[in-house]
Amino acid sequence: MDGHSYGYNIPISEKTKSVPWEEKVRVIEEVKSDFRFKEYIFGCLNCGVCTASCPSNRFFDYSPREIVQRFLEDDVEVLYDMMHEYIWACSQCFTCWIRCPFVNNPGGLVAIMREVAVRNAFEATKDLLKPYGRVLLKVMTTGNQLSADMLQPDFFPDWGPKMADNMENLRAKRMAIPFDVGKSVKTAWEVSLETAIEMYTIWRETGIFEMLEKLDPNLYNVIMDIVEENEERYQELYEEE
Amino acid sequence: MAHGQRKEGSILMYPEKPPFPLKEYNAHYDHIFEMMEELEAKGEILIYRITEEHQPMYVYTRTGRIKVIPTNKLWHHKSCGQCGNIPGYPASLFWFMNKFGLDYLNEPHQTSCTAWNYHGSGTSNPVALAAVWLRNMHQAWKTGYYPLIHCGTSFGSYKETREQLIMNKELRDAVKPILKKLGRLTEDGRIVIPQEIVHYSEWVHAMRYKIAELYEKEGKPKGIDVSNVRVAIHNACHTYKMIADDYPYDPEVFNGQRPAASTAVMKALGAQVVDYSTWYDCCGFGFRHILTEREFTRSFAIQRKLKVIYEEVKADVIITHDTGCTTTFEKNQWIGKAHGMYYPVAVMSDVMFAALACGAHPFKVVQLYWNCSAYEPLLEKMGITNWRELKKEWEDAVKYISELEKAGKYDELMEFFKTYDLYEPYSRTSTGKPKASATAAMPLFKS
Repeated sequence: MDGHSYGYNIPISEKTKSVPWEEKVRVIEEVKSDFRFKEYIFGCLNCGVCTASCPSNRFFDYSPREIVQRFLEDDVEVLYDMMHEYIWACSQCFTCWIRCPFVNNPGGLVAIMREVAVRNAFEATKDLLKPYGRVLLKVMTTGNQLSADMLQPDFFPDWGPKMADNMENLRAKRMAIPFDVGKSVKTAWEVSLETAIEMYTIWRETGIFEMLEKLDPNLYNVIMDIVEENEERYQELYEEE
Repeated sequence: MAHGQRKEGSILMYPEKPPFPLKEYNAHYDHIFEMMEELEAKGEILIYRITEEHQPMYVYTRTGRIKVIPTNKLWHHKSCGQCGNIPGYPASLFWFMNKFGLDYLNEPHQTSCTAWNYHGSGTSNPVALAAVWLRNMHQAWKTGYYPLIHCGTSFGSYKETREQLIMNKELRDAVKPILKKLGRLTEDGRIVIPQEIVHYSEWVHAMRYKIAELYEKEGKPKGIDVSNVRVAIHNACHTYKMIADDYPYDPEVFNGQRPAASTAVMKALGAQVVDYSTWYDCCGFGFRHILTEREFTRSFAIQRKLKVIYEEVKADVIITHDTGCTTTFEKNQWIGKAHGMYYPVAVMSDVMFAALACGAHPFKVVQLYWNCSAYEPLLEKMGITNWRELKKEWEDAVKYISELEKAGKYDELMEFFKTYDLYEPYSRTSTGKPKASATAAMPLFKS
């Protein structure tokens, strides 16, 4: 039978069915071996307080209670299937965490599952995160996640006509702020080169570049070009000094 | 340790009696402060302590713990979302700090926390998040300035990372070699961990009576009055739902049963705080959602928050204390017109509203031009009735700067900036000359 007779009743995808059982077990074990896992899940009375207060539950087929229940039942098939689309509905607001009488953290479990899905380069994550490329490019190369020039009016037509006005003369507007803040247009603030270099070291040492290469090789190449260029520039400056 | 017990010199402090009814069942979080002291005694970490030079003030957390809030000599851990998309947010905070004559450091050696990226895309991991956090904290420690975290997500993520780091040796062991490589350990090889992780809204909360004094002294004489302004509070999920036991609660705000920051400062200013049924809901931001699941974000924001606030309590303004919530609420109003669901209400953060109340320029300081919500009726109601002139003044300045830059007239541009300052029509003296602003000594392009 697909799904469960109660609660989670989304049919298991053909793709998940075609994956060897051992592989599914391996992936779920990877989630469960994360050091945070034991801190995020305790008992569950199925009270549903988490789901009742979950914003994503109102608009998506998503329930934090199901996340906890499937782990407690060690439902490998469903958990593996959830990692392709289901868990990406979570808003990461952690309302479930503060409200759970057992202090379970379904949002935290989702964070681990997402991370493992990305690390294992699930096809679904590649599609889901494609529109997120601009943020990844910015954060990986500059150490800043956002900047003023990212709010292109064409990209946000639903935010209304004021957006176009806001972007007009953007640089002059930022120069006119009478404080030393918000001056930079291409980054949120001017990040020093040595700080960016430190970030690159963190990405390298923690396997983030590697993760990105599997997720989006094209984006990875663009990022590495910028990273290497900045590292060379830094090396030259260092040697000059 | 519990209420009524004190250990001399400990960073874990409680008042003699609980300040309000407490939920004790998950108060175990406070234990991490004792564990931090143990790790320091073992030589594993160095606690970056808040000292007298930081002019500490004290607030209560949800567990009734006394949280120390440094108010001076602060290292601004800026928010990428605020600096990038809500420039009036940090500008208002800086305006207050200058007004109060406080010492602070705003330098380029800071990165984003990278937690927005993590919660949105999963493309990071706890070791990377911890390394980024500890790198930034080490930089602050090196300067002697105490980190003040502007962003709610950075604040929530850092609180969680600290708890993970204190509770898990394996995480400390994983991050330490990276910090060593970066030169981000103490000379004797310890990790620097701040005594308290402090959000700017906690600073505003701790400073609320000083802010109210400034309102009396400078806001009211300019004709500003917030006593008839109906204010709906939206607390940010990542400030009070992530590591829920480490955020201010106060007997004056729902007898300590709801987060106190933002609400308390509004009450101190004398505004009418109005309660609404979905106060507990998030804004709909969702990290990834505001970019790639926009139907969700706008549907949730409109149906669960804007509509409720508009219809139930007819608020004049939604007061926020985080980056994503502010953006979500003010950017997702116009689209509601397409479905006959237009619920116009002004949106801004607590510090921006407080700055307006105290007489800050609505456009040069609070940068309201950027705001897509209908803020004009609020300004009228607050008594800032000359907002059109002020807007024109701002637009003229922008136009002039733009023209000079396009023409390559950099000398003239520099001359203009020499005299350009907070021109505050409200604070003109009887001689007609504008008052010297506290920002006059601040160079424009320091970094």
